[in-house]
Amino acid sequence: MSALNTRVSLLALACAVSSYSAMAEDSSLTNPSISAVLDGYYQTGDRPLAERAEGFGLGETELALSANIDEMFYGKVTAVVESHDGETELNLEEAFIQTLAMPYGLSVRAGRFLSDIGYLNNQHLHTDAFTDRPAAYRAFLGGHYFDDGIRLNYVAPTDLYWTMGVEAFKGESLRAADEHGERDFDDVGVYTALTKIGGDIGIESSWQLGLSYLRNQNGQAYAEDEHEDEAADEEGHAEHSHSASYTGENTYIADFVYKWAPNGNYKYQNLTVSGEYFRVTDIFGMEPGHILEADHEDVSTDDYHQGWYVSSVYQFSPSWSAGIRYGQIDTDEIHEDHLDPQKLKESEVSLAWHSSHFSTVRLQYTHQTGTNFDGFEDDNIFTLQYVMSLGAHGAHQF
Amino acid sequence: MRINSKLLLAVTSMSLLFTATAKAELNVFACEPEYAALAQTLAPDARVYSATTAMQDPHQVQARPSLIAKMRQADLVVCAGADLEIGWLPMLQMKSANPKVRSTDKGLFFAADQIDTLDKLTQVDRSMGDVHAKGNPHLHLDPTRMLTVAQTLSAKLTEVDPENASRYAQSLSDFSQRWQAKIPQWQEQAKNLAGKKVIAYHSSFRYLFNWTGIEQVADLEPKPGLAPTSSHLASLLTRAEKGDVMAVIVASYQDERGAKWLGERANLPVLVLPMSVGGNDESKDLISLYDSLLTLLNGVK
Repeated sequence: MSALNTRVSLLALACAVSSYSAMAEDSSLTNPSISAVLDGYYQTGDRPLAERAEGFGLGETELALSANIDEMFYGKVTAVVESHDGETELNLEEAFIQTLAMPYGLSVRAGRFLSDIGYLNNQHLHTDAFTDRPAAYRAFLGGHYFDDGIRLNYVAPTDLYWTMGVEAFKGESLRAADEHGERDFDDVGVYTALTKIGGDIGIESSWQLGLSYLRNQNGQAYAEDEHEDEAADEEGHAEHSHSASYTGENTYIADFVYKWAPNGNYKYQNLTVSGEYFRVTDIFGMEPGHILEADHEDVSTDDYHQGWYVSSVYQFSPSWSAGIRYGQIDTDEIHEDHLDPQKLKESEVSLAWHSSHFSTVRLQYTHQTGTNFDGFEDDNIFTLQYVMSLGAHGAHQF
Repeated sequence: MRINSKLLLAVTSMSLLFTATAKAELNVFACEPEYAALAQTLAPDARVYSATTAMQDPHQVQARPSLIAKMRQADLVVCAGADLEIGWLPMLQMKSANPKVRSTDKGLFFAADQIDTLDKLTQVDRSMGDVHAKGNPHLHLDPTRMLTVAQTLSAKLTEVDPENASRYAQSLSDFSQRWQAKIPQWQEQAKNLAGKKVIAYHSSFRYLFNWTGIEQVADLEPKPGLAPTSSHLASLLTRAEKGDVMAVIVASYQDERGAKWLGERANLPVLVLPMSVGGNDESKDLISLYDSLLTLLNGVK
């Protein structure tokens, strides 16, 4: 009986293998696309809140598998291996399904996926033109915000591109600090609403504008009567995490991107200019049930964090591209019952060599100026990085 | 009164807009201009949009907002296929959320699926450059294959929009007649070209060279998808000095610098050929594109 079972399962396996190879004949849409991304670097210093640390290191090593599951669903799994301080972590960055056949331009994505807020957030790190995300992303979204949840998206049937989406997430990585572990957090902590419009200007230029709102039920930090320091950010760089360091109840993001290529031909030369502005409000409140005391009155409900960046990348030949980026964040750190303002400014230049479409070697220089920023003062940092991809062509987003 | 007439105009144009939509004309999204031209010929009443021009490399296209918006409204998507658009078409399909054009069972049409492609590979390795197992996708410059594509595309149009079946049949028969009348003429023009040797950029003109009998003895790209390097150009110069090469050929969307460098040193004419409709002033449709290609090739002294 067991011999029969073995034979049957061998047969099943053989069938599975043969049907797989039959599918491999048509690799475009029906077949699993398998890809891996390799990322390694050497860096002369630390950037605040960033994932890369001084010295030699590996960035996110990514392994992705995606395919149309059937007529109705597409699925993707992205596993990310990271090493920090001698420890290797395996994380699931994406594990989602998406509908393919809903009517009226609607689609639903469920599982773990990158939120569609802002411009950069839904893009994978390895497609970035700089070694780290802008400071605003690191401070307010933990680098890039992916989470367990669901999204409903709508694309309007208009010549001007217009999409709208709403999302709901668990929101664990965006929770405010809770040092005592006593706080009663909402299970569904994050709701977002976003819209994007875009189009072409003639043959050579394209643009997109986006507005996003993120409601974080657990984002407001509470003042406490007897406590030294509530902000979680200080551990942000030493103790690795994907959590946001500065949170608030409401986050507003405005973003734009503009791309240009001579004759609209992206093969040889092209230019990308993009920028985003973040404002995080209602960052600090009273724990429910607490009575507002007189000594808290210097904490105003108008306090907010903000951050922005503008970047420009020019590919001047298929093998070379260069980018500049300026960004800053203005944040408040909670100390007992009052807020200490902090500021971080980053000016960056990057130069990248592309041996082919699939390999990049990048040199980046960052000049950072920190005011009251967790001991980060003025610094100059160089990073030498490679990013290479194996396997299936990934279709890139705009 | 003036305001009223303006208002009237606005209302009229609005209603015109609505009737245009209400009429539900067929929306066709073409990945490349040659398929936009073919679709427009076979469905003269359709609203046809081309995602790229003959000046743009179809391998590298941004999945930009305007393309998502156009694909969202499409009833039919017509592309070369054979993975030419693999870097952007899947993203457009995902983002446009239009189930009508998602699979070839419905409103998605790949020209390469209709014919036998050249240079199919049994094994593909990235060290070979940017090559595709499904063969060369630039098949629109073969008149016989293109006729087959026209016939199958017409059948697809009928499948997607059966109400206008007779119109599509009529357009196909008109096109086939004109095309078949041209083929012997082109073959006559190609007679002088048979056996001629050229150095060209990429395998863009693989099909054109195949039926005209032109032999591409070397490629400006060291490997498919990679830009010409100086060491590779130097080796091409050595090859050209044998003296049997007729010309250096690049397509309208390709960088001419490497070709010019080689042409000057090897004393060879550099020919920029239209890759598709709109690639030069003469190429206004598929027939004039072929006419222009053969005239230019025959014009090489």
